[in-house]
Amino acid sequence: MELSSPLIVASGPASHDVRQIRIAEEKGFGAVVLKTVCSAKYDEMRYWPRPRYKLLDWDKQIAGRSKQFTLYSYEQGYSGRLEDYWKFVEICKKKTKIPIIGSAFAGVPEDWVDLASHIEQSGADAVELDISSPHRPGSLEFETTFVAAIKAVVGAVKIPVLAKLALGPDVLSQCLIAQDCGAAAVTLCNRLRGIDIDIESHRPILHGYYGGVGGPWAKYYNFGYVAEAAGKLKIQISATGGVMTSEDVIKYVLLGASTVQILSVIMVNGWDSASTINSGILSYLNRKNLKSLDEIRGNAVDHLTSPEEIVRWSGESKKGPRNEWD
Amino acid sequence: MNGIKKKYKGLDPLPPDFVRIHAPLAFVVEEDCIGCDRCIPICFFDALVMVDKPEHKYKRVALVDLANCTGCGLCFEACPTDAFIWVPDKSNGGPISRSASAMTNGII
Ligand SMILES: Cc1cc2nc3c(=O)[nH]c(=O)nc-3n(C[C@H](O)[C@H](O)[C@H](O)COP(=O)(O)O)c2cc1C
Ligand code: SF4
Ligand code: SF4
Repeated sequence: MELSSPLIVASGPASHDVRQIRIAEEKGFGAVVLKTVCSAKYDEMRYWPRPRYKLLDWDKQIAGRSKQFTLYSYEQGYSGRLEDYWKFVEICKKKTKIPIIGSAFAGVPEDWVDLASHIEQSGADAVELDISSPHRPGSLEFETTFVAAIKAVVGAVKIPVLAKLALGPDVLSQCLIAQDCGAAAVTLCNRLRGIDIDIESHRPILHGYYGGVGGPWAKYYNFGYVAEAAGKLKIQISATGGVMTSEDVIKYVLLGASTVQILSVIMVNGWDSASTINSGILSYLNRKNLKSLDEIRGNAVDHLTSPEEIVRWSGESKKGPRNEWD
Repeated sequence: MNGIKKKYKGLDPLPPDFVRIHAPLAFVVEEDCIGCDRCIPICFFDALVMVDKPEHKYKRVALVDLANCTGCGLCFEACPTDAFIWVPDKSNGGPISRSASAMTNGII
């Protein structure tokens, strides 16, 4: 799949309806990952609490210019029925020219295959599996929910399969497993689960349960995961998390990402943030005399040193001003 | 906003009191709207439009299309004057009940 821009709309509320996909195309996105559809077993996930979003640590005076905020949310699957989703994919394909990536969430492998096959039959160019296992209770399910699911889907569809992973200490090993299972790419990484509390009422905010948390700060963890994976993986990496500016996109590419998925920045700064980011990338390319980001992909990973090579000096001496030694 | 208005506080931490009985919808208090357009791009469900209002101080105000509003809350955070309040959707049946398992799984 060739994309006109490395920028992709990440799965979520900005890719829930056809008109948004047309806007995404107009604004210069290279592709769109549609809002995740959930298998019938998770039908409840089409219904959302109200309200379901909150911007924490958000400075209203400077709105989206704030670089320190957390978008707290509890919004699960695509809100229509399964049939609506297949039709959604079809219409998106008819009305736009950019690649359409369907997104699925299920439990058992048969259900993953069912969703992915329908997405393929509806005309999608690829399918992303929202397989972020830390959202599920118990890592014992890893074999069925992760390994078996990816293998089954890869065996059942011809379109490329992306596995979207969750942040965590085992990202790298999950990437390698996804690669072994035949995934065409990994998407690193979904948001974290967290919680915020109202200290007046002692209750968790909004719907009263854990929520998804993310924000500009999240990129620093994710830069690390992308770098680690880029050094070891043969398949592509689609990076997602915390992008606010063109610099963030360039950093992900320098760390080895092929594409970069964004969402929160669209939510807080509007669709024009795509044009701003794209023109930022262009002026960087001009300034550095580059034809495309392909020329610099992964360069920062090559500059990673190793713990053995880090230049080290002694710390404070025993007679230092903070010590009481004799 | 439960009747108390502080400067630029945005969305309350907890849903409105009536959330268990009626679905909350966003509503613009026209006197508080300064016609700044900031809430328009943040609504992903095309539930917000600017309408001309010649008699209003700022000549135009935001209006929530109640049929499209999903009650997400983001417009509350976008508004510099806290012009948004929750109103109950009395036409909507009761809330959808969910199984306990749905609460432990899922995309967040
Ligand atoms: C409100 C909201 C809803 C989301 N819904 C989904 C979803 O349905 N499926 C999915 O794979 N990721 C979902 N995500 C995660 C995003 O696709 C994206 O990976 C993540 O937000 C990190 O990118 P960002 O920091 O640019 O927002 C959602 C994120 C947010 C904020
Ligand atoms: S609550 Fe959400 S859906 Fe309703 S008007 Fe506000 S931003 Fe739009
Ligand atoms: S953000 Fe608030 S003040 Fe501005 S147009 Fe919308 S409702 Fe009116």
